[in-house]
This record gives sequence, C-alpha cells and structure tokens, in this order.
Amino acid sequence: MSHNHNDNDPQALYEGDQSKLYSGVMSHHDDIKSSESKKQIGRIWKVFWILLVVTVVEVVMGMFFSSAMPRGVLNTLFLLLTLFKAGYIVAVFMHLGDEFKGFIITVLIPLTLFVWFILAFLADGGFWLKMNNTFGGVN
Amino acid sequence: MANATATTVETKPWGGGRSPFNVSYGKMMMWFFLLSDAFTFGAFLISYGTKRFFSDVWPDPNHVFHAFPFMGHADLPLLFVSLMTFILIMSSVTMVLAVHAGHYGDRNGVIKWMLWTIVGGICFLACQAWEWTHLAHLTGGLWGTFTDVNTPAAMYEGFYNTSSEAYMAADAASITQATHSFYNFFFTITGFHGFHVLSGVAFLILILINTVNGTYDNRGHYEMVEKVGLYWHFVDLVWVFVFTCFYLL
Repeated sequence: MSHNHNDNDPQALYEGDQSKLYSGVMSHHDDIKSSESKKQIGRIWKVFWILLVVTVVEVVMGMFFSSAMPRGVLNTLFLLLTLFKAGYIVAVFMHLGDEFKGFIITVLIPLTLFVWFILAFLADGGFWLKMNNTFGGVN
Repeated sequence: MANATATTVETKPWGGGRSPFNVSYGKMMMWFFLLSDAFTFGAFLISYGTKRFFSDVWPDPNHVFHAFPFMGHADLPLLFVSLMTFILIMSSVTMVLAVHAGHYGDRNGVIKWMLWTIVGGICFLACQAWEWTHLAHLTGGLWGTFTDVNTPAAMYEGFYNTSSEAYMAADAASITQATHSFYNFFFTITGFHGFHVLSGVAFLILILINTVNGTYDNRGHYEMVEKVGLYWHFVDLVWVFVFTCFYLL
C-alpha cells in the first residue's frame, strides 16, 4: 500500500493523497466551464433564492401577522422555516448531502440530543414561572 | 499475497488502509469542532429560552429592533436585521462558489469569490457594530443595564407592546428584570456570534493569502478553502437560529 504514501514528501504527509479520497461533486475536476460545473453553480444559486424567499416570508410574517395569528401557530411556523433553511445550508452549502451516508449519520446523531435539551429546559423555565407566580401553592 | 491484501482492503471499509467515510482527517475534525460549537451556541440559546419562559413579560422584537441607519426615528421593524441576514446569506453563497472553484483548481475564481466573502463578512460586522451602538445610545449601556427597579418607564417601555395584558399586569421589578436579561442575552449571544464572524474573516484572509501565493496549487488541492468554508457556513447557520430566536419568536 506504500505507493499512496511518500514519507519524503511533506505535502503528502500533511494532507495525504486527496485523489484517492473524494468522489462525485467534491472530487477534483478540470474544467470550470463544463456543463457539470454549471449545473452545480445553478444548484447553489437555486438554494440562495430558496433561502432568500423563506427569509422574506419570515420577516413579512413577523411584521404583519404577529398579532393576527395565534402566537403558538406563528412560532411553530417560524421554527419549521428555520429548520428548512438550516437543512439547505448544511446539505448543499456545507456539502454534507454529498458525503457518505455513514458520515452524515455520524454528524447528525449527536444533534438529536437537542430534542431533549430544548424540551427539558423550556419545561423547567415554565415550571419555575408557575411556582414563582403561585408562591409554590403556599397561599 | 499482494492480491489477497488488496481484496481485503476493498471489502472492509473499517479494515484500515483507507478512509471509511472518504473524508480527510482535517475536514472530519472541522465537522466535529463545528458539532461542539453547535452545542455551545445551543446552550446559550436554550438558556435564553429558559429565562424567557421564566418571565411574565418579555421585550417585543418588533419594538426593540425598528431603527435603520440614517432614517432617524422612522419605525421600520425588522428591516435592518433582514439586511444583515441577506448580507450573511449572500456571503455564504460567494463562499460556496469559492469552494466550487477550488474543486476545479480555478485559482482566480477562488480569489474572486473569497474576496466577495470577506467583503460580506466585514459588512455584516459593520451592521452589527451600528446596531450595538444604537442600542447602547438608546439606553446608556450594554451588559448590566436595567438593574435598578426605579429606572424610569420611559427608558424601557419603547421595547414592549405596552397594550398587552401581560405588560399591564406586570410590576416594574419584573419588567426591568426582563429587560436586563434580554439585554445580557442579546449582547452575549450576538457578541459570541460576531466574534465567530470576526475570526472567520481573519481565517478567510489567511486562506486568501495562501491562495494568492499558490500554496494550494502546489499542494494539488484546495481543501483548506473547503474547511474554512465549512466554518463560514456554520456561522451563517448559527445566524439563522439567532435571527429566529431574537428577532422573530
């Protein structure tokens, strides 16, 4: 296996042989003007428009519908749109969608801790408020 | 024998001799660093949420953030922060275009798009500096303000929806306490994010200098651009959540 690895070459020691590492979008290409390259650039701009439109929708909702809609419905919509935007940034801009499935899972699984984290702490905040306002049921 | 070894390596991803995830060490560690950073930001935002759930009243973002530079006292809720968000999303696009140019070994493309990304980062920081200065000017300070229960109502009532039931039922102590907490969390979290943007700009400049010097052409790949790009997109990603938590919810 030593033909991939040259101990005398500091560049190779620094990053290894990248040509053996990547495939698909992230591998090395030659022609920036190729149709493959143009397709990828088109995908990037498409995501930009999606992010822009979603942000404008959020701001319009925040400005004009904050009193017209029940707060719970509005906040749920805000959170869903936020996750929608985050998904596009991570999948396309950070190229996580182009990585191996095993790597995607390795990155995403620890984040599921946030589900517990958010539910537990917000419930705790709400409980404290109730205790504070009712004096813990003393009177 | 040589054949047998080669076959074993082909069939067992974790058997050694190759990268099971097809990711270099440096890029994988960047992802794990960002994962830990996500938990730091998450902890900040969740403690902000907890404090907010614990409070009877809370400042209304439509009332706090309604100013725009050079527009005087015009009431323009959320408009300035929308501009900041637009700048950051735009700089994320130019960053991913730099990464794309790097995949194609196009040095001039990398230089062009990284310069635009740096411009975007600096514009964002300038906007944030203006917003902080504006809020400090409005209330006489950043952290640690609104600690006095006897603060005149005129100092904070502009932050609240004063016709709401919750506001009218609340006493001065809980209103000043909520304003105090809001200020502390706002400046801590946007400050921590702003510091990420600042260090991101510094990294971008370093990588740009290397690109101009031809370091990555000699190395044969532009993976450093990709790694600093991951960091930059993460900063944008965090802003998406900060934007939601402070300005929308």
